[in-house]
Amino acid sequence: MKHLYLFFMLSFGYLKSQDTVKVASNIPPEQQAELDYNSGLSALSKENFNAAIELFSKAIVSKPLFDKAFSNRAIAYAQLKNFNLAINDINEAIKINNQNADIYFNKAMVYYKMSKRDSENVALMHCLKLNAAHADAAYYAGLFCYEDKDYDKSIEFYSKAIASNPNYAYAYNDRASAKRAKNDFIGAIADYEKALSINSKLPFIYNNLGSVYRLNKNYTKAIEAYTKAIQENPSYVVAYNNRGAAHFENDNLKAAESDFLEVLKKDPSNSGAYNNLASIAIKSKDYTKARDMANKAINIDGKNGAAYYNRGIARQMLREEGGSCEDWKKALELGVSGAKQFINASCLN
Amino acid sequence: MKKYYLFPLLLITISLFSQSVEFEKSNFPGKKDELKLAKKQLDVGTEFYMQGRKEFDDFRKDFISQNKYAPVSNHDFRQAGITNFKDALTPLTTAYNFNPKNARLNYMLGICYFIIDPGNKTMLKIFSEAFSIDPKVEDDVEFYYAWALHLNSQWDDAITHYKAHLSKLQGKKAAFDIDDINKKIQECENGKKFSATPERVFVDNLGPNINSSYPDYGPAITADEETIMFTSRRDNTTGGKKDEGDNKYFEDIYTSTKINGKWQPAKQISKNINTETHDAVAGLSPDGGKMYVYRDMAKDGGDLYETTLFGADWEVPVKLNKNINTKYHENTVSLSYDGRQLYFVSNKESGLGNGDIYMCELDVKGNWGPSKNLGAVINTKYAEDGVYMHPDGKTMYFSSKGHNSMGGYDIFKSIFENGKWSEPVNLGYPINGPDDDVYFVVAGSGNRGYFASAKKDGYGDQDIYKITFLGPEKQPLLSTQDQLLAVIANPISNLKVENAVEVKMAKVTILKGIITDAKNNQPLEASIELIDNEKNQTLATFKSNSNTGKYLVTLPSGKNYGIAVKRDGYLFHSENFNLPEGADFQEYNKDVALKKIEIGSTIILKNIFFDFDKATIRPESANELERLIKLLNDNPTIKIELSSHTDSKGSDEYNLKLSDSRSKSVVDYLITKGINATRLVAKGYGETKPIDTNDTDEGRQNNRRTEFKILAK
Repeated sequence: MKHLYLFFMLSFGYLKSQDTVKVASNIPPEQQAELDYNSGLSALSKENFNAAIELFSKAIVSKPLFDKAFSNRAIAYAQLKNFNLAINDINEAIKINNQNADIYFNKAMVYYKMSKRDSENVALMHCLKLNAAHADAAYYAGLFCYEDKDYDKSIEFYSKAIASNPNYAYAYNDRASAKRAKNDFIGAIADYEKALSINSKLPFIYNNLGSVYRLNKNYTKAIEAYTKAIQENPSYVVAYNNRGAAHFENDNLKAAESDFLEVLKKDPSNSGAYNNLASIAIKSKDYTKARDMANKAINIDGKNGAAYYNRGIARQMLREEGGSCEDWKKALELGVSGAKQFINASCLN
Repeated sequence: MKKYYLFPLLLITISLFSQSVEFEKSNFPGKKDELKLAKKQLDVGTEFYMQGRKEFDDFRKDFISQNKYAPVSNHDFRQAGITNFKDALTPLTTAYNFNPKNARLNYMLGICYFIIDPGNKTMLKIFSEAFSIDPKVEDDVEFYYAWALHLNSQWDDAITHYKAHLSKLQGKKAAFDIDDINKKIQECENGKKFSATPERVFVDNLGPNINSSYPDYGPAITADEETIMFTSRRDNTTGGKKDEGDNKYFEDIYTSTKINGKWQPAKQISKNINTETHDAVAGLSPDGGKMYVYRDMAKDGGDLYETTLFGADWEVPVKLNKNINTKYHENTVSLSYDGRQLYFVSNKESGLGNGDIYMCELDVKGNWGPSKNLGAVINTKYAEDGVYMHPDGKTMYFSSKGHNSMGGYDIFKSIFENGKWSEPVNLGYPINGPDDDVYFVVAGSGNRGYFASAKKDGYGDQDIYKITFLGPEKQPLLSTQDQLLAVIANPISNLKVENAVEVKMAKVTILKGIITDAKNNQPLEASIELIDNEKNQTLATFKSNSNTGKYLVTLPSGKNYGIAVKRDGYLFHSENFNLPEGADFQEYNKDVALKKIEIGSTIILKNIFFDFDKATIRPESANELERLIKLLNDNPTIKIELSSHTDSKGSDEYNLKLSDSRSKSVVDYLITKGINATRLVAKGYGETKPIDTNDTDEGRQNNRRTEFKILAK
């Protein structure tokens, strides 16, 4: 009640849009800024990003040092992938208030989306300096280290995130993945299971759990985990495909084939499933079929290195040595490092 | 094996007990002439067979005498008796075509094939028939039947018949035969084991541009695999002569180059190399600049020569020194990668068997020093041949009829480490088989090898094959997908949104209602003026909705407001609100029915204020009066009555007087503003025309009013 100025509000609950009454306003700028800001927030929550930007901009015009408006307008810009404008706004917000850890976190997130890794890391560290218990910042710092393949440091950050938020299922999942990368399968399994105990409805975590069991050659457990992932999301073809892989590695080619065919039933253009059928054919020494399946995989996805690799094997056994060398070279080009030994052994004079 | 000369007697004896169909009239009724002809062919063939058989048996006896073991491979017989066997083959075959059920005839034919063409599948069939018709047709029928099975990789059946034959042998005189059969049984066991886990290789015949129906062997290949040199005993050999020892053409060296991946037709190498006798490839230096040649000059037992490539031609070969060449048979050569060691094969007396591998080193003068036998790890009492040193400097490939061969020469590998050779390893099936596999060399890449083999699918006798090593079975690569990072698997909006701010607002009253036509109740769009009565300012002007007539306005509490609703053709309507402070929020509903401008229409001017108990118009009435003036100016023909009313408090006279004064004050004001006085009538009604109760404050307030009425239009 500091100011007693007249203002007008439009009540949309009462009047229909065509009922809009245009009224002059003489609301003081600060209140107008706050009103526009709140309206912007409402638009932001409804993912109406352009409207949000307009409203936050109005708020900033009315109140030029409105740090929250800058911060939220940055979010709207970021959602529209206008990252440079988002960073500008965040910097403006920081100029007004440099003690807000969340703004630094947002800055890190925008840099993350811009793939500016160094800047992302600087912002994350700044955020954690202001608030060491910032669980999300610690989580993303863990992610940063994971992507840098610094798994020890990654685990350290994920652990901090978990310490700040003991129900942080994502942090448990990612820490498990970091442990998996260090071949600590037991630790990874424990973390995936903890993540699932917090949120048992996340099929991708069951899938990850299954894959660690697979790496650990515990195919029964792997198949069980993939099956749970499928139960949570019956259209989750990734889990079907991986369960097929577990059956394959467990020498149950029939069950593997059944899963790969199920993938193709749900997703007829799944290149990976065709490649896996090619793998079954190679195991069965049916090289003609293997070549045909790999052909299908490649026709769907010309960047499926594994399919080139497998077709190379099939073609070698079909005595199409020239073709097999071309395939392995392509596989190597696509990042399948295992093809190199075949090239060295069979394609160089 | 000493009863061959008792053949006629045996024939009579066995025929009494066997199912063998003899060449007798009773067995071929009505075929007298054909029988006569067949018998004649049988006699002719038998005659040649017997001569050939004698040579064969004599050779075997000599072989055992020299080597202290029986011939291991069918090639060990060096085709003894082949001329007679070939002469026997046609008449015997004619007789066989007439009577295939004669055990002895089948046996004789089998032996002919064994020497002439052991790779011919007919041999196995013939021996099988001979044995099934009469297992006792000859003492050794089961042995050769087993050997035929062995050569056809029928390991289990071969073992069965070898063992059956072995059970019939006893005594010191049979010692060599017993040793021989035991070795062959072991070879079959080896073959069974190796063929159960075949090596992952492709074995390809080099094709008709390299191989012929004659023996082709001893390949030497350049590091880039673009040129091959090999030995052949084909009919265009230099001089066109045959070696009397085995009735085959003398060896010559041939070469071929590869164009666009295909071997071109082989040609004889330089005349500097090939002579009218034996000239064979014995080896090639790692750089391809030197070739070692085997030559079999008179009485030297076969020696090794060296020739150097000069431009496109090979120079005249020079014989290697006496540390290498002896009066015995020396053949294949291989140099170490640095050219300082020379490995070769010799069957000199000091060896461990019939052909051993030796090594000599370059001395300080650049000559080959004394040779050294590689010892019992490599050399056996059987033959070794085809030595080849891999450029890695430590791996040696060689062929041997000993070790764990599957039959005849097999190719082995041994590695020189820590000053000694490792136990030789059989290269396995299908590189090696039951027949001779020999002269193995590795291409520069190490991924392919070349060797000579008497495989059954060849162009005849020995052929040259290429081995492609496939390595361990290639495991297929599965396409799997993990979603290891949660935010990637399941993206979330992770940006931190700032919260809403609390806007410091005044306490409010919502004023809302519907504007209608007073007569027909239809909603009207009308202009609504909001006036701050204290400041006498129009705060805002807005409109009601054209369809619904609705309006809504939010007002801070604690103030007095005037509202004027206007529409052309209608009298304006004014309201006065004194919104008290107190509740945070209150709603006030005010519907307004606008009256059309017509005679008799009345309107209350709610925003005309007078000083208490006086007729003085207060300044906050200005807006209302301006509206009234505008109405009168916009409708210049209308005449109005301006009346003032009071509540019931006070006396009637007082009230009448006060109301009269107030109405006149308004009329006077209008006149001062330019309204013609003739259009205005002032009237004070006192308390006589209440519109509400006088019992309540609100009612009394309503009754206190200024009105106007249209008198004329």
